[in-house]
Amino acid sequence: MSEVVVECTGLTRTYDQDSVPVYALRGVDVSIMKGDFVSLSGPSGSGKSTLLNIIGGLDRPDGGEVVVSGTRLSTLSDSALAELRLHKIGFVFQAFNLIPVLSAHENVEFILQLQGVGSALRRARSTAVLDSLGLSQMSHRRPGELSGGQQQRVAIARAIVTNPALLLADEPTANIDSATTEELLSLLQKLNREQGMTIVTATHDPMVMSYTTRKIKLHDGMIEEDESAVVV
Amino acid sequence: MPPAAKLSFEYRGMVWRVAWRNLWRSPRRTWLTAGSIAFACLLVSVGMAMQDGSYEAMIETATGFYIGQAQISHQSFVEDERLEHTITDATALVRDLDRIPNLIVAPRAQGFALVSVGDRSFGGLAVGVDFDKEQQVVTFFNNLTSGTLPRGVDEVVIGETMARNLGAGVGSELVLLGAAKQGGVAALVLTISGLFSSGQSELDRTLLFTHLEAVQNGFSLGDEIHTIAIRVADLTLLEKQISQLQTILPDNVVVQSWRELMPEVTQGIELDRVSAKLMYGAMLILVSFSVINTFLMVVFERTREFGMLLAIGMRPGLIIRQVLAEALFVWGVGVAVSLLLVVSLVGYFSSAGISIGGMEEIASQFYMPDRIYPAITLQSLVVAPGVLLAGTQIAAFVASWRIRNLQPVAALRVD
Repeated sequence: MSEVVVECTGLTRTYDQDSVPVYALRGVDVSIMKGDFVSLSGPSGSGKSTLLNIIGGLDRPDGGEVVVSGTRLSTLSDSALAELRLHKIGFVFQAFNLIPVLSAHENVEFILQLQGVGSALRRARSTAVLDSLGLSQMSHRRPGELSGGQQQRVAIARAIVTNPALLLADEPTANIDSATTEELLSLLQKLNREQGMTIVTATHDPMVMSYTTRKIKLHDGMIEEDESAVVV
Repeated sequence: MPPAAKLSFEYRGMVWRVAWRNLWRSPRRTWLTAGSIAFACLLVSVGMAMQDGSYEAMIETATGFYIGQAQISHQSFVEDERLEHTITDATALVRDLDRIPNLIVAPRAQGFALVSVGDRSFGGLAVGVDFDKEQQVVTFFNNLTSGTLPRGVDEVVIGETMARNLGAGVGSELVLLGAAKQGGVAALVLTISGLFSSGQSELDRTLLFTHLEAVQNGFSLGDEIHTIAIRVADLTLLEKQISQLQTILPDNVVVQSWRELMPEVTQGIELDRVSAKLMYGAMLILVSFSVINTFLMVVFERTREFGMLLAIGMRPGLIIRQVLAEALFVWGVGVAVSLLLVVSLVGYFSSAGISIGGMEEIASQFYMPDRIYPAITLQSLVVAPGVLLAGTQIAAFVASWRIRNLQPVAALRVD
């Protein structure tokens, strides 16, 4: 039986927008298994980014529960949540969000330094990851000297160098061209297939959805369609 | 799960490296902030060096003019300057004091008398001194405008104003009549060998100087004197030497430093120090506020980046530390520039001096020379950088405080 990496039960989230409540999530139940490559799709305001943020411990739900790798997030303090993000979750953002003053290699190493990994192991792991993503030739370059696609690959390298239990990507292809998008998606697919990495991505992009093994469609804060959903 | 970032040496190294590079993301802003720190440090350090230099000169001028850096006298003379309040066995005491290294002493005896030339008479203070020693202790006798210092015991120098009042000049004979110590009459007949003009009309009108023995004999003082003026080789060691002197002096004979003899000089210096501190303080606070402004901008502009750092698991405290490290670097750059300028400027002017030409008259009233030589002291070099170190760290801390409450999701949405 496959291991559950993420389990969401009855998730609700409401925002106040000019004193008007906006229901971002209305009772979402979903389980994500180890090795899943999931796309969260839906129109703007459907709740996909909110769900991704709550799974990643970046936001807290108003109701319901999230369990990531056996840890109930509601029981964690902000500091413990930060610790969980650091060790168990990798993030890839829409706008790459690399540290502009560090080289590609240093950006990847940075997160390992945060984890307190020793220098030799840190260097070996970052070099290996950059090599595997075809970035070894440009590892000394700073983000400003890289193309959008290269920056996003560095961001993926930073996200996976810690061997996270879960990789979350929020619109990872929104700022890159279609050729680079395909390249990146192949990369994510490879990580998913060869390393069994669990990947959840929020996207509008049909091309992204075509690469994922499980497609969850949200509408008005609820799951409208889950192609291979595990019933909770 | 291993504890994140135990602030290992390497992690700290990364914080410093990132902080240093962040500084040069906006070189103009960094240079402006560092420049304001450098300018404030420069002004305060040079100002303090000027103050220290002028105080030294002021003290030197004031003490070296007539009073001396310190004076030994009988306690009763300190309380009431009467003729009979003397130090006895003066010759032996002066001989003992002469043996102390780095100390020059000049004994003095004095008595009030009616000074007459022909049919004109005025009151005056006859001071008996050892002219050779006096010239090593004070500069007063450099103010001779005509004639010479007394060579024989029957000669005297008087102020120009007194000479004018008496209608006398060099070569004139004057008669001193006063009360001697034992109640008898003190009578001296002296020839004017020279005239002085000290620039202080009170002294020029009332003082006349002759040999110590003349006053001692004339006023029946025997081997007694009233004061001993002192000069030490190093003024900074004066208080220490005074303490040592006090242990070898006879009972009821005391040493007073220039601080007690001329409290107006000490008060003037203190007043100047307080007003300067207020000005320096205001300037340093202003600069600290400009640093707050800079770092508020830094935090505002990098909100998204901080959001990303929080999202990947960096603690807010570590991000604040990084901002503090950036503030430390800006401070370091500013202080390095200011130290370079301070050492060059003060180094040059400490030998060349800064002229306060046109203000000689006012300056002399405050015992100031017409040229100030700024003096670099450790205090003048460290006070402003020290205060600004605290100021910039507090400023950066205040500016980065909001990072503690930054929500990663909201921060990542900031454009």
